[in-house]
Amino acid sequence: MTGRIFSPGIEHKKARWGWVFIFPSLTFFALFNFYPIFNALYTSLFRKKLLSLKPPKFIGFDNYIYLVNSPDFWNSIRATVVFTIGTFIPMVIFSLILANFIISRKRFQKFFQMAYYSPAVLSSVVVAAIWLLIFDPRGLSNQLVNFILNTPGIDHKWLANSIMVQISTMLVYFWKYVGYFTIIFLVGLASIPQSIHEAAEIDGVNAWTGFWYITFPLLKPTTILVSIMSMLQCLKTFSTQYLFTQGGAPTEPINVITLNLYHTAIRDHRIGLASAMSIILFCIMLFFTWLQFKASRSDEVSY
Amino acid sequence: MKIAMVMLHHLKGKKKKTSAQSFITDLFIWAFLIMAALFILGPFVFMFTASSMPANDIMKMPYRWIPKGFYWQNYWQGIRGNDGSFIYLRNILNSLIVASTVTLTTVILSALTGFGLAKYHFKGRYFVFMMILATMMIPFEVIMIPLYLIITKLGFQNSYQGLISPFLVNAFGIFLMRQYYITFPDEILDAARIDGASEPMIFRKIILPNSVPAIATLAVLTFKSQWDNLLWPLLVAQSEEMKTIPLYIVRFTAEKHTDEGAMMAVAAIASIPILILFLKLSKYFIGGATVFSVRKG
Repeated sequence: MTGRIFSPGIEHKKARWGWVFIFPSLTFFALFNFYPIFNALYTSLFRKKLLSLKPPKFIGFDNYIYLVNSPDFWNSIRATVVFTIGTFIPMVIFSLILANFIISRKRFQKFFQMAYYSPAVLSSVVVAAIWLLIFDPRGLSNQLVNFILNTPGIDHKWLANSIMVQISTMLVYFWKYVGYFTIIFLVGLASIPQSIHEAAEIDGVNAWTGFWYITFPLLKPTTILVSIMSMLQCLKTFSTQYLFTQGGAPTEPINVITLNLYHTAIRDHRIGLASAMSIILFCIMLFFTWLQFKASRSDEVSY
Repeated sequence: MKIAMVMLHHLKGKKKKTSAQSFITDLFIWAFLIMAALFILGPFVFMFTASSMPANDIMKMPYRWIPKGFYWQNYWQGIRGNDGSFIYLRNILNSLIVASTVTLTTVILSALTGFGLAKYHFKGRYFVFMMILATMMIPFEVIMIPLYLIITKLGFQNSYQGLISPFLVNAFGIFLMRQYYITFPDEILDAARIDGASEPMIFRKIILPNSVPAIATLAVLTFKSQWDNLLWPLLVAQSEEMKTIPLYIVRFTAEKHTDEGAMMAVAAIASIPILILFLKLSKYFIGGATVFSVRKG
């Protein structure tokens, strides 16, 4: 279209402006994104200490071998996997239910959307601080659970027991992000044509069957998107675990990879080892991103 | 087909549901939604009520959801700090400086880059876009240590430059702006060129004023994520004067988590600006959440 109006010379000049516009960002990207990735990969092959004057020593894959044989690192993998599975599955199920319930209401849709989304706006440190008090032995969580179970005066050790502290971190994360994913499901639901529901209703399909055989299959792409997004989010969790351990909770049960990474790099100054850890985390996340890509390609739905 | 639909509509109107079963289903849905809302909003109410009670009252059973009065000493204690240095005020200022600067540069650079990638047909632009998109897959935790070494080498440790520079621009912003600009009509740009407008002028006078919704979405999301940032300041800000709000909360919690009232006051102060922003601009927050679920371009 533009070719008719402008001569090739002007087209060329225009293309140069394209480079001018992207140049500043590209410079920052090169320095603060592209370079660090390769640097992380490179550093993971060295024995390197932070603040050390000794030159780093090339040790090949020794850092990775060390990690594979380290019970501490396996514990971190376990903590991360348990946290991720324990958080994202309830999160996907509940956000799906909430979105379906919200869209079935004629009134207060906006209110519920806002209310459910609001925790995602708070900073994670604030969230962790609030829940630290709720999980206090004298706090709300014990009061509520004892009220429901009718077991007055029992301390459920939300932050002290190694299993409970894991459940507590999951609950915090669930609370913060369930509304966020509800919103994504709502967008997916809104894109399903109303006529499909109406046709089903006429055919005498009840609400439950309608959801199970019509809505849910059509929502499959959104469900996959939400699953992977929430999974990736959970794999990166840091703030809750960090503040809980700072607040006195035991480290070992909730020593997720990111927390371990932070301690290895900043407390122990073992930069090479921490880099190897970060590369492993990256590979795990890359695997799930690839899975998402594959799933979203093969599962196109047409209405 | 259309006639059939209209007929269906009429049929539906007549067949009103009156059965007891649908009433119970309805009741159940309302109950579920309200319970979920209580679960979600409860901790908010807890934060604000606890911040206005003396510490002794907070841990009383059962919890008193309506405070007797406003115990302002919590806020005073939170701002004053345990050592009376009032460092929280400085930390709030730091958070404001860092979050606003990052928001400003991200918006400008993302708009520029997004425009450049969407509307200029230079060689390699697709490759550049893919490279930038690829960095979205890399979690910050992976590049954090190399970044720390770069910042140290540049002498930016414990400074605003250090806190800000890794976040000057991000892939998500560029992606968002490019998707927005790709549907912008070329004819308008060409018309401006014929009128003798230079390319920077087109960007400033036509593109920027026409991308307010996308810019607002990007701005609130960037501001929020910086306000929330814990990991990077934890590495870079060593002195109390350079710390940001999340670091102050961590320190306050670790030092003195027996003074629950003051702790919640500190948390409330940190949350109020972002909650106001959310209430005023909720559609941009919520719109930002759904960027990835809408496939376009």
